Amino acid sequence: MKVTRRTVLSATALAAATTLALTACGSGSEPAASSAAKPSSSAPASDATLSVWVDSNRAPVLKEAAAEFTASSGVKVDLVIKDFGKIQEDFLRQVPSGKGPDITIGAHDWLGNLVKNGVVQPVELGDKVNDFQEVTIDAMSYDGKVYGVPYSTENLALLRNTELADKAPESFDDMVKAGKDSGAKYPFLVQVGTEGDPFHMYPFQMSFGTPVFGQNAEGGYDPSKLELGNAGGEKFATWLAKQGKAGLFNTNIDADIAKEKFNAGESPFFITGPWNVEDAQKAGIKLAVDPIPSAGGEPAAPFVGVQGFFVSSKTENLLAASEFLTNYIGTEAVQTKLYEAGKRPPANKAAFEAASQDELVSSFGQVAADGVPMPNIPEMNAVWEFWGVAEADIITGKAKDPVKRWNDMAKQVESAISK
Amino acid sequence: MTSQRPQRVKTRRAAQPVAVPADRVGIKTLLFKIVLLAILDAFAVIAIFMAVAKDSPLIAGALALVTLLVNVVYLKRGWLPAKYLVPGTIFLLLFQVFVIIYTGYIAFTNYGSGHNSDKDDAIMSLQQTNLNRVPDSSGYPVRVVEGADGLQLLVEIDGQPALGDSDDPLTPITADEAASLSILQFGQLLERQQELAELAVPVSDDPAEGMLRTQDGATAYPYTSSLKYDKAQDTMTDTTTGVVYRDIGTGAYTAEDGSELMPGWAVNVGMDNFTKALTDSSMRGSLIQVTTWTFAFAFISVASTFFLGLFLAIVFNDMRMKGRKIYRVLSILPYAFPAFLGGLVWAGMLNQDFGFINQTLFGGAAIPWLTDPWLAKLSVLWVNLWLGFPYMFLVCTGALQSIPNELSEAATIDGARPFQIFRLIKLPLLLVSVAPLLISSFAFNFNNFNIIYMLTNGGPRIQDSDLGVGSTDILISMVYKVAFEGANRDYGLASAFSIIIFVIVAIIAVISFKQTKALEDLN
Amino acid sequence: MTTLKLTPTRRTFGQWFAATGWRHLIGVALVIYSAFPLLYVLSASLNSEGTLLSSNGLFQAVSLDSYVELFQNPQRPFAAWFVNTLFIGLTTSVASVLLGAMAAYSFSRMRFRGRRFGLVSLLVVQIFPQLLAVVAIFILLTTLGDVFPILGIDNQIALIMVYLGGALGMNTYLMYGFFNTVPVEIDEAAKIDGAGHARIFFTIILRLVAPILAVVSLLSFIGTTSDFVIASVVLVSPENQTLAVGLFQYVSEEFTSNWSVFAAGAVLAAIPVMALFLFLQKYIVGGLTAGSVK
Repeated sequence: MKVTRRTVLSATALAAATTLALTACGSGSEPAASSAAKPSSSAPASDATLSVWVDSNRAPVLKEAAAEFTASSGVKVDLVIKDFGKIQEDFLRQVPSGKGPDITIGAHDWLGNLVKNGVVQPVELGDKVNDFQEVTIDAMSYDGKVYGVPYSTENLALLRNTELADKAPESFDDMVKAGKDSGAKYPFLVQVGTEGDPFHMYPFQMSFGTPVFGQNAEGGYDPSKLELGNAGGEKFATWLAKQGKAGLFNTNIDADIAKEKFNAGESPFFITGPWNVEDAQKAGIKLAVDPIPSAGGEPAAPFVGVQGFFVSSKTENLLAASEFLTNYIGTEAVQTKLYEAGKRPPANKAAFEAASQDELVSSFGQVAADGVPMPNIPEMNAVWEFWGVAEADIITGKAKDPVKRWNDMAKQVESAISK
Repeated sequence: MTSQRPQRVKTRRAAQPVAVPADRVGIKTLLFKIVLLAILDAFAVIAIFMAVAKDSPLIAGALALVTLLVNVVYLKRGWLPAKYLVPGTIFLLLFQVFVIIYTGYIAFTNYGSGHNSDKDDAIMSLQQTNLNRVPDSSGYPVRVVEGADGLQLLVEIDGQPALGDSDDPLTPITADEAASLSILQFGQLLERQQELAELAVPVSDDPAEGMLRTQDGATAYPYTSSLKYDKAQDTMTDTTTGVVYRDIGTGAYTAEDGSELMPGWAVNVGMDNFTKALTDSSMRGSLIQVTTWTFAFAFISVASTFFLGLFLAIVFNDMRMKGRKIYRVLSILPYAFPAFLGGLVWAGMLNQDFGFINQTLFGGAAIPWLTDPWLAKLSVLWVNLWLGFPYMFLVCTGALQSIPNELSEAATIDGARPFQIFRLIKLPLLLVSVAPLLISSFAFNFNNFNIIYMLTNGGPRIQDSDLGVGSTDILISMVYKVAFEGANRDYGLASAFSIIIFVIVAIIAVISFKQTKALEDLN
Repeated sequence: MTTLKLTPTRRTFGQWFAATGWRHLIGVALVIYSAFPLLYVLSASLNSEGTLLSSNGLFQAVSLDSYVELFQNPQRPFAAWFVNTLFIGLTTSVASVLLGAMAAYSFSRMRFRGRRFGLVSLLVVQIFPQLLAVVAIFILLTTLGDVFPILGIDNQIALIMVYLGGALGMNTYLMYGFFNTVPVEIDEAAKIDGAGHARIFFTIILRLVAPILAVVSLLSFIGTTSDFVIASVVLVSPENQTLAVGLFQYVSEEFTSNWSVFAAGAVLAAIPVMALFLFLQKYIVGGLTAGSVK
């Protein structure tokens, strides 16, 4: 047998290739097996498995609820822990391919986009609708139908350092005055950032009577009624330019800096949400939560964000999914536990009552009651695109004529929506 | 200690006739090779069977083809280059070339927001979302019953039991009849969730009263559909307005007046995306500026990282220097941390009012590093240099080792100054090994979306731009804004742009590559 | 080798500076440039209540709380991520060095039809904008995963395979350029001595190019371990994820980001890279000796 040297190489090269292949095949069965291994249940045998996407903060609570649900219904629940920031995109991608979950956690402002892409279906809450705060059901509704079970709300309010300011300000000017009197470095703090932060500016804008969209007959936002450019908007733009000039709003203050300064006791007031409460308390700040003071005369209503659970349009387990959502997730007990895990006011009324024992939570909840749901129509994304930058330009004085800049922005938004 | 190994080979070989040991080794390795091939083939056969069993002829066929190819390449004499290239090429084809082909395919479709699935999914979803609860209706407690032809709903209306299924409206039955029915329990229903989801029982012959549906198997509500699907005609009719929506080939049911029902589905749109990409008027205003900046950014990034990396590699390449190891390790630090973390820290350090740079280095000056169009460009380049020089440093450190010291020693003896040695001897040799890499690096930076997105998001904005394009936007980040602006994720358009950019950069790369041939021939 | 021929007299400062001292100046400047921004990260990791920027000053509070927290969150198994990252990074790195070196060898040493074309294609393939790669890879892996679970979503082997698709990329180029600088005479001498191409490749060439193999394996390791985009699509369940994907969750939620724990994780995650570099440094620089041929 005559063998050339070439074979030496090919053998070795192949060895390498095979080793790779071997590695690949060798461990083949393990991951599959582990993903299939689920706690066995004593409940009536059923093949149904409910796949639920949840973020890691909420996972431990859902695990408990899921275990109870499995015990009573026999339906296994496969909790898939996902990064909250990636859920919407993955859901949009995976549901059409048939790989998506039956249920996913999500934020209500995704809803329009999810509906437009046909990946969610309405959930019939029936009479249980009345168990939830109205604002949360509104948020979870699109085209007059409820698409999800809400579990918590999130909104801005005014955090007050009680050692620097002893009472809630009546108006914006009142707040600035109290802030200056306190002797602290910043009369009040709010994050802006170089690209603007319309979410944090919105309460002030609302106090001039300028929502983003008008409403349709069903109470939802109507994309064809853009309200940004109304008379109040122009007044707001002028006001914003004035405050920017006075240095009260500063685009160089971003979320981290605002938080840090407040926690260092350098300002009596901080317009922010419940997410910053814990760290402020840790830093030893004595806190009170107040409504955001009005600048333009009308109530300074913040956006209210609602978190909830959506059902996939392609679920093959609709019965189990509805049962799980309406009879477990929506209940007072589970919502209370979710509250304890995340410290956000619960959507369930009874759970909210219970959570309101905590003064800060109840204060945030009261502000939310005056708030408006963040628009959940897909057109909102076109608004974010231009809104903040225009505000930043007005604050920094880069826009010489604030009213013109504001109206230009409204026009840009309009053309982006109609595209 | 030079050339020790080749010598060893030499001595051993010289001791014996050449052909004999080669053959002996050959048999062993041949056996080895055959065994390995056999193992590989065995796995391939199992895999092909699996694919056939799972009903994927395409995968089975591709696998068979690849296995055949591998066997031929390694069993056949000759084809030496193939023996070295095949393993890597298989992976390359599967995972890289596929991405290109797939993107090319997407470029000819309208895949994106509202068009992200097929027509059946769209129809199903339209029907799901257009069910409306009959106004002021209340829920009926229901039981699900096993009927002769499928599931039935048993309802009690004002104390009177009634039974119906998808074909027959609710009909009153007697209490005895009701008692004799076999009622399905929750556990049984779980087995038939699909059927239950499709079960819709007309309340009466009057369609306005709606159809009873139940999601939880315990309470049913009457719904009317505001959208009627006619399968034969392939139309959707809005039952409240009477408007008829037709499939006119654009991937959505469309009415006469052009209004579309969402969701639609993905369809082939031919060259539309390319036409749009090349003629989109909203882009034209900023296109020249963005393109110029893209080239400048890519070129300066490559040049700056390369020269800094090279310079440092040379500085630390001196054997006499103590502590080189420490310096080397610390200098690759930026590369060892997640890039976006570095980007965030730099963004913070460059903050106009609070950043370290202005506060400490410039004594409190308010220099707008990230908000002035030119300074922002400078900042992006600066941070990209920080992120990128360790790569070039590593590469140059490695590449410098291939340059025999004898060359520079000889030159030194001849009286050459260090810089002359570098420019005339080391640099040309170095370029031989790194020139292709510089081209790749150019291509990488040309499409370096992350650094732009992370640090400035393209800002500061060019005010009159309708696209939200900013001064530091490069082509790929502008494409991102055009195709994924707001909620409209237009993958088709993004793909078309990707391909256009690809063609441009590929041409540049191929032309520059031709130049490297001259370099290579030097050697 | 290049031993410094020291004169018996003590060097003056001027001599020292001219020889190596200025290099230290550059070294110190470099360390400040490269490491200073990362001090913020280190400082944040030691201050469990702080933010990333800590404009109040570095190292105001020092505690290991964040490091402790990192290992105590069962929802976010840091230790598992660490092991996964090492496994995926090392496997990919070794395999791509091998695949890349083989390709580079054939491009450098063999002349065959389509060689230029092959080189150009390699270059062209990698300059494709990867904006949509994630969508394509997801589709590909779900299709493959239906048949072979091992190649499906949420499998580390599948991820390694995807990375190996890039094995013949920039790294091959780097090695190709380096192979070209190794004199062909060495191969020829060995060939005359009766060594086959495989022997030449594995026992002679690979040793001669050790520096670049070390560089490439390091680059490949870093590239793999720092990849977020592809890994986050492929690896779904927390216990399967890599450090880059897992840690990102600490900061991805807009309002509940935990920079301190994230920074602690990033600091620990940088250790394997540094360790690997320290380990490989002697090959990168020490390979010098093998390269010189008489």
